[in-house]
Amino acid sequence: MIDPAGLVSHASPAYLSDKTIAMTPATSSQPLPYLGYGLGLRVDHYEALLANPGNVEWLEVVSENYMVDGGLPLVWLDRFRERFPLVMHGVSLSIGSTDPLDEDYLARLAALAKRVEPAWVSDHLCWTGVQGINLHDLMPLPYTEEALDHVVSRVLRVQDTLKRRILLENVSSYVSFADSQLTEWEFLAAVAERADCLILLDVNNVHVSAQNHGFSSLDYLRGIPASRVQQFHLAGFEQGEHLIIDTHDAPVSNAVWDLYIEAVRRFGRVSTMIERDDNFPPLFELMAELDHARTLAEPLLQDAA
Amino acid sequence: MSSLQTIQEQMLQAVLAERAAKLRSIRSDDIAGAEDRLSIYHHGYRVRLRDALKNEFTGLQCMAGRRFHALLDTYVKAHPSEHYNIRWYGADLPSFLDETQPWCDEPQLAEMAYVDWAVSTAFDAEDERSMGMADLSAVPAHAWANLRLSMQKHLRVLTVTHNVDAFRRAADSGAKRPHLRRFVHARRILVWRKETTIHYRTLDRDEWPVLNAALGGETFAAMCERLADHHDESTAMSRMVQLLQRWLETGLIQGWTTD
Ligand SMILES: [Fe+2]
Repeated sequence: MIDPAGLVSHASPAYLSDKTIAMTPATSSQPLPYLGYGLGLRVDHYEALLANPGNVEWLEVVSENYMVDGGLPLVWLDRFRERFPLVMHGVSLSIGSTDPLDEDYLARLAALAKRVEPAWVSDHLCWTGVQGINLHDLMPLPYTEEALDHVVSRVLRVQDTLKRRILLENVSSYVSFADSQLTEWEFLAAVAERADCLILLDVNNVHVSAQNHGFSSLDYLRGIPASRVQQFHLAGFEQGEHLIIDTHDAPVSNAVWDLYIEAVRRFGRVSTMIERDDNFPPLFELMAELDHARTLAEPLLQDAA
Repeated sequence: MSSLQTIQEQMLQAVLAERAAKLRSIRSDDIAGAEDRLSIYHHGYRVRLRDALKNEFTGLQCMAGRRFHALLDTYVKAHPSEHYNIRWYGADLPSFLDETQPWCDEPQLAEMAYVDWAVSTAFDAEDERSMGMADLSAVPAHAWANLRLSMQKHLRVLTVTHNVDAFRRAADSGAKRPHLRRFVHARRILVWRKETTIHYRTLDRDEWPVLNAALGGETFAAMCERLADHHDESTAMSRMVQLLQRWLETGLIQGWTTD
């Protein structure tokens, strides 16, 4: 159980006082809406979800799947757009790469955002490639001052192009770097503060990385500024031999549900989503998980109110 | 301390390398060593790219059978992805099979891959309007000779010497793997999308020269001449009308102009 008193003491450490914080963000800092409980939209559930939206209040679409010229993906997208609030979630922004930002990608992302008018746009705090090569993976960064400056300047550029604040998601990781000077949560918090962006907190990824690197997931939550957290992801993982692997292809584990409870205590009412990327169960199973999230969170939120 | 760029370049090379290497920039601890840690990315990279290819090349999978996995591995080894969308990773697989031993010794593999990829690209190509019979009735009688058709931009014609479409059809329907047949004369497969449905079919022997002329922006009169090899004057015109009807009904034509 987290001590609430310990959570609010959030002094500004030295790494936040860089000159970039004084830059005026190109984007408005108006709060984004609360959407409730949602799902990641996947092809396997298209039909079922339109036939019976059940308890699903909003949907997250993977941006790249719809960054296409036409055809069926956009037909479905328009159908869902009529029925649900949508948010866009990308995997290829590569915000931490030392390659230049991909202007073609950004232009397409901006065009899609214009078409969809999502409640928000998110991607991951990672790099996906360098030297023009894409590994199609969410590669972790060394948590250094250099990486921090680099990421912050790029987030500012992206937000300028999209004319909106973006959300960055913490990734599951299996390596950490000898050069890291900050913890992952210090780094994520600093990026958010200095670039004035928001955070998509994947509770499963916090758990996976905490297990793999031997840090405390509660320390992680304590280190994240509550005002920046706009969305939660809940997902499942797979136990490997030494490391646990973020597969996003299994039900949410008990450990992650426990951590979700702590996250709700810490961050309050945050739009919550079940994220399944593979091994798709029937839609009703995901709806049941969503109901479970609601059952855990709502009493805490009502108590707090 | 290494620069961010150095760390990323080393890690990228370690993932691409045949064997997962050990990098000094990566920490080892009681939970796992640096090599084990890096191997997760090393392994994941190959699985992800193979999976992306499996989604697009279903006909090829049906045709290659148990060799499919090895085939994908050689491509993954030779081709790092350069596109932000993994969906496009397979763009060079057909030409790779066309040019690389041992796969190029069996030309049906490349032929199949070209058809699979044409189906893939038609799937999310730009939406185009398609013209119906009624639109063509607006062409004044005197203008027909100089009529030029605009065909759908995404439409692809592929030359094949084997019954590759049977393999794709089997993959699409979950049917049993067909027997490979080699044609005496090369045939041409047309791949296109009407609204949101993808179609593919073998062109009739007399159809291809006419369609090719249409794609090349030639006039209706020139298209009719292409039928001369297969038809005499009395049947050429009715055949031309038949083809035109078929193209209109199946949504191949998006517009027309007259000079
Ligand atoms: Fe996530």
